[in-house]
Amino acid sequence: MAAPTMDRSTDTPSAKPQTITMIKGLNQALRTEMERDPKVIVMGEDVGKLGGVFRVTDGLQKDFGEQRVLDTPLSESGIIGTAIGLAIRGYRPICEIQFDGFIFPGFDQIVSQLAKLHYRTQGRIKLPIVVRVPFGGGIGAVEHHSESPESYFAHTAGLKVVACSNPVDAYWMLRQAIECDDPVLFFEPKRRYHEKAELDLAVAPQPLFSSRVLRKGSTATIATYGPMVRTSMDAATAGAEDGLDLEVIDLRSLSPLDLGPVYESVRRTGRLIVVSEAPSESSIAGEIAAKVQQECFYSLEAPVLRVTGFDTPYPPAKLEENFLPDLDRVLAAVDRSLAW
Amino acid sequence: MSSPERWSQPQPSGAPAATAASPTAEQVIAGLRATSEGGPELVQLLTPEGERVEHPDFHIDITPDELRDLYRDMVLVRRADREANALQRQGQLGLWVPLLGQEAAQIGAGRALRPTDMAFPSYREHGVAWCRGVHPNEIVGMFRGVDHGAWDSVAKRFHPYTIVIGNQCLNAAGYAMGQRFDGKVGDDNGEATMVFFGDGATSQGDVHEAFVWASVYDAPLVFFCQNNQWAISEPTERQSRLPLYQRARGYGFPGIRVDGNDVLASLAVTRWALDECRHGNGPVLIEAFTYRMDSHTTSDDATRYRLSTELEEWKLKDPIERVKVHLSRNGFADHDFFDGVQAEADELAAVLREHCVNLPEPPPGRMFDNVYAEPSATLEAQRDEYETYLAGFAGGEH
Amino acid sequence: MPQFKHFPLPDVGEGLVEAEILTWHVKPGDTVTVNQIIVEIETAKAAVELPCPFAGVVTELLAEPGKTVDVGTPIIVIDVDPTGEAAPVNGSVEPERVPNLVGYGVKAVTAKRRARVGAPAAVPASAAVSAAVAPVTVVPTPPVIAPEPVAAGGYVPLAKPPVRKLAKDLGIDLAALAGSGPGGVITREDVEQAVAPAAAPAAVASRGERRVPIKGVRKATAQAMVDSAFKAPHVTEFLTIDVTPMMELRAKLKDSAEFRGVKLTPLVFAAKAMCLAVRRTPDVNATWDEAANEIVYKDYVHLGVAAATPRGLVVPKVRDADQLSLRGLAEALEQLTVTARDGKTTPADMMNGTITITNVGVFGVDTGTPIINPGESAILAFGAIRDLPWVVDGQVVPRKVCQLALSFDHRVVDGQQGSQYLADVGALLADPAVAITY
Repeated sequence: MAAPTMDRSTDTPSAKPQTITMIKGLNQALRTEMERDPKVIVMGEDVGKLGGVFRVTDGLQKDFGEQRVLDTPLSESGIIGTAIGLAIRGYRPICEIQFDGFIFPGFDQIVSQLAKLHYRTQGRIKLPIVVRVPFGGGIGAVEHHSESPESYFAHTAGLKVVACSNPVDAYWMLRQAIECDDPVLFFEPKRRYHEKAELDLAVAPQPLFSSRVLRKGSTATIATYGPMVRTSMDAATAGAEDGLDLEVIDLRSLSPLDLGPVYESVRRTGRLIVVSEAPSESSIAGEIAAKVQQECFYSLEAPVLRVTGFDTPYPPAKLEENFLPDLDRVLAAVDRSLAW
Repeated sequence: MSSPERWSQPQPSGAPAATAASPTAEQVIAGLRATSEGGPELVQLLTPEGERVEHPDFHIDITPDELRDLYRDMVLVRRADREANALQRQGQLGLWVPLLGQEAAQIGAGRALRPTDMAFPSYREHGVAWCRGVHPNEIVGMFRGVDHGAWDSVAKRFHPYTIVIGNQCLNAAGYAMGQRFDGKVGDDNGEATMVFFGDGATSQGDVHEAFVWASVYDAPLVFFCQNNQWAISEPTERQSRLPLYQRARGYGFPGIRVDGNDVLASLAVTRWALDECRHGNGPVLIEAFTYRMDSHTTSDDATRYRLSTELEEWKLKDPIERVKVHLSRNGFADHDFFDGVQAEADELAAVLREHCVNLPEPPPGRMFDNVYAEPSATLEAQRDEYETYLAGFAGGEH
Repeated sequence: MPQFKHFPLPDVGEGLVEAEILTWHVKPGDTVTVNQIIVEIETAKAAVELPCPFAGVVTELLAEPGKTVDVGTPIIVIDVDPTGEAAPVNGSVEPERVPNLVGYGVKAVTAKRRARVGAPAAVPASAAVSAAVAPVTVVPTPPVIAPEPVAAGGYVPLAKPPVRKLAKDLGIDLAALAGSGPGGVITREDVEQAVAPAAAPAAVASRGERRVPIKGVRKATAQAMVDSAFKAPHVTEFLTIDVTPMMELRAKLKDSAEFRGVKLTPLVFAAKAMCLAVRRTPDVNATWDEAANEIVYKDYVHLGVAAATPRGLVVPKVRDADQLSLRGLAEALEQLTVTARDGKTTPADMMNGTITITNVGVFGVDTGTPIINPGESAILAFGAIRDLPWVVDGQVVPRKVCQLALSFDHRVVDGQQGSQYLADVGALLADPAVAITY
C-alpha cells in the first residue's frame, strides 16, 4: 500500500538550497504544480490580482492567466461547489478559503459532496481538490480569523486532512496534496507564515500522510501539529534547562493519523502530551489520546494529557495569549505527568 | 423569449396569502388559481386538448415519427415510475420519488440534450435519466438501499442524484465553467450543461450562488427548474413572491416560463436555451410550470395539505393524454401503435420488477470500499477488525 | 407445496396508523396477479386502492369491509404456490417496518445476542478431584476469565498499567498486595518483592490462626465447583482392573523405534482408552446446554488432563485427542505437562474440553469421587497401579492392578451408558488387544 510517488519531472534540477518563508514555500509549490500540469487551477477570493490577502498566490495570475487563477465571487459554497464541477470536468482545483472562520458556508458542499462523491459513485468520480485554509490564532485578529476547525473535517470520512508546520513541509506537502487524487483539506498555520527555513530540493520529501520525530528524547513525548509545533520545540528547549529531555513529534497528517512513531515513542517514554490550539472537547487531541491508551496501555506511566485551547469561542485579541497553549503550559503538563 | 421589460410586476395584495394558517375561501381560490394557471407569459405549443398552437418566440418543427417517439418516451417513463411506486408499497423499495405528471418537462428537456452535453439532476429526474441512457434498473438500487446510485455518471453524462437540495447547481456551474475554459463554447458545436432543481430549491443559497457564478463566468448552463407547485407540503408561494422565472432578471440573464406539461414547448424552449449556451450566451433559466401529481415521496400523504380539486384540475392537463389525442386526431398513430407502446411499457415494468427483487444484498465489506481514491491504513485496519469480528458469528455474515 | 403469504396493511401516507377496509375486489379462491388492485381502503382523508404484491390464489380475507385495521396487521392470505401438495401453514409474519418519508423505517431489534462460533457460554473448564488426599486441592480457573480480584472496599487495586502487566506476567495477585505508593498505589517494587517465595501474606502474628480472604482465583474456582456439584447430579462408579497386559505392551513399545524419544506413561494408555470408548458411548462426551435446552453431542474429543503445577492444579486440554495416535497422545501429554509445570499454560489451552481424566495414581492414590468440570458430563479418575493379589485361572497371583472411577452427570448419561463406558475403558486397559475390535 505504498503512497504514489511524486512527479518531480519539472522540478528545477540544480536549484541551490534557499532560505524561504512559509508563504514563499507555498507560492513556489503552487507555481511548480501549475507548470507541471495545465489542469491545475487556483481559485478563491482575491487570489488573482491581489495575490491573496497573505500573498500566497502572488504573481500566479500574471504568469498563468485569469482562467487558471480565478478571482471568484464572494461565495465559499460556490468556491467548493464549482470546484467539484470543475474536477468532474477534469481539472485539479486548489481552492483557497481566505480565513478558517469562513469555511463554514462551504461546509455543506465539503461534507455532502466533496467527501462523498467518490464513495457514492463507487470510485468512478475522483475529486483531486485541495482546499487551502490558513488556520489558528496568535495574530491579534478580530473574530472569526483565528479558528481551528480541523476536527470537523478529520471527523468526516472521505476527506484527508493535513497541517504543515514549517516552510519545507509547506512546500512539499502542498505539492503532494495537489498530486493526490483524494480531496485534501490543507491547513496552514497563519501565525507561522513569515517564519523561515532552508529548502533544499535535493532532499527528497517523506510521504504526505506521515508524521515525523523532530527531536528525540526520553522524559516524555509531545505530539502536536501546525502552529503548536514551534511552541512545543520551544518548550523542549526551555525544558532542557530543567533537566527534561522531551521527544517532539510533528503529526503532519490529521486524517489519516500516522501514529506508529508516537506509539514507538510512548513505549520508550511512557508519557504523552498532546498539544493543539483547538478546543479539547471532542477534538483530534482526544482521538489521539484514545488510540494511544489503547495501543500503549501497558506502557503508560501516566494518563495521556492534552494541552489545548479552552472550550470557549476564540477570545478577543487581548486575551488570546491566555487562550493559546504556550511553552509554560506545555511544560506544566510535563511536570504533571511526571508527578503521576 | 420573454424579456425583462415585459415581465409583470408583483401585485402587493395587502392581505395574507393562501398559505396563512387560516386562509379565507377567497385566498384559497386565489391560491388555487395561481397554481393552476401559468400566467400570460407561459410558452405553450400544444394545448391540454391536443391542439397545436403558435408562439411568437418559440416554434418547433416536429415530424409524426418524432412525436410518436416522445409519446413512447413519456408512456414508458410513467409506467416505470408507477411500477417503482408499487414496488415500494410492497416493501421492495425503502422509498420511491415519483415523477408522475412531470413526464413532459423531463422528456422535453432530456431530448433537447446532445451527447456531449452534461446533465446534473436533483433526485426526481428519472425521465431525464431515461433520455441519457440510464435504465430504471440502474436507479432503483439507491431506493432499495443497496447503493447510492449505480450508473456511470461520467460515461452517461448524468450526474448522480443529489439529495441535498440545491448543491448540484453549484457543481453544474463549475462543470459549465470548465466547458468554457476548455474552449468548447462559442459556436454550433459548443457544449452545454443543464441542471435540474425544483421550486423549493430556489430558496437555497447554493442555487443563488450558482446564478451568480454562472452569470459572471458566462457559463453555458441552463437552469431547468421544474416548478411542480409543491415542496413536500409547502406551496410555491412560500418560496417566492414573484414567479420563479422572473428571478433570473435579478442576476442578469433570461428567464422563461414554459408549460411543463407540454412536451413540445419544453423541447423547443430547452433546445433554444441550450443553443444560447452553446453559443456563449448563457446562462438561461427555464421554469417548467407543471404539477406533482403524486406525493413528495411514497411516504408522504399529500391529502394532508392539498385539496383534491387542485389535483382534478391538473388531471385535465395531463401531458401524455394531450399527445395521444393529437396523434389520434391527426392520424399519426393508430390502435396498434398505442397497444404496442403499452405492451412495451408493461414489459419494461416486468423487467424492472425482476431486476429489483433480485438485487443482491451488498456484502458488509462493501461499506469500506471506495471511501478514498488512495488507500488509508487506518481505514483498512478498521475493515480488517470488523471482518474478523463478523467471522466470530455462527452462520457467517449478517 | 402451498406457500402462504400474508400481506400486512401498509402505511400509504405519512404516519398512517390505521385504515378502514372499504371494498374487497377479490374473494377466496380468486386467482390474483401482481399489482392487481385487491382492496380499497380509507385513510384519514382519501380512499386508496392497494395493489397486490403477490401472484397466486386468495386463501383468506382477514378483515371485513367496515373494519378498521392497524398498519402492519395482515389483511389477506395468498397462496403463492397453490399447485403444490399440502403442508403445514407457514403463518409467521415478521414485525413490520413502517416506511417513513425517506426510507424503510425503523427495524425492530430483539435484545438477543447473535450465536457465535464454537464458544459455549458456560464458565470455562476446571476439573477437580475430591479432597481425598491433602496435596490435591481445588483448581484455580485460568486468569483471563477470572474477574479482577475485588478488594475489601469493592474497588480495583490501584496500580499503573506497566505495574499491572508486570504483576500479570509474574502471576502475582494485585489484590493480595498492600501498596506502598501514595494513596495505597501498588508500585513496581511491591510487585517485585512479592515474587520472593515467602508465603505468609499478612503480618506474622502469634501461633493460632491465619485468615486469608476468599477472593479472586480461589473464590471463582469455589463457585465453579459449587455450580458443578450442585447442578449436575453426580454418580460415581468404580472398576478395578488388572492392567498387566497393558503394562507389558507398554514395556514392549517403549523400546520400539516408533516410541523413541517420547515418554510413554500409563496415563497415555488411559487417555487412548477413553477416546476409543467414547465412540461407543458418545453421551459421556456431550454437554447439557441449559440455556438452549439442548444436549450437545460432539464429534471431537478435547481431553482435559489434570496437571499439578507450582501454581496449583490446572486442566489443559489435548485438542482432538481422538484423532491422535498413541505416540501423538504421548507427545501431547508430555508437552502439556512440561508447559503446565512451567506455569505457561495459556487460557486458550484451558477452554472447551469435552471430557477429563485426572491421574490420582501419580500421588499414590487408589481412587476417589471426582467432580465433573462445568460444561462436561464425565470425568475419569485413574488410580495408582499396584501389585495386588488377583485371580488368574483359578490361582491367586500378584498382578498389576488399578482402580478406575467414573463420575458422570445423570442428566446426560444414564447408569447403563456410564457403566458401559467404564467397562469399555476398563476392558481396553485390561487388554489393549481389544482395541482392534473398535
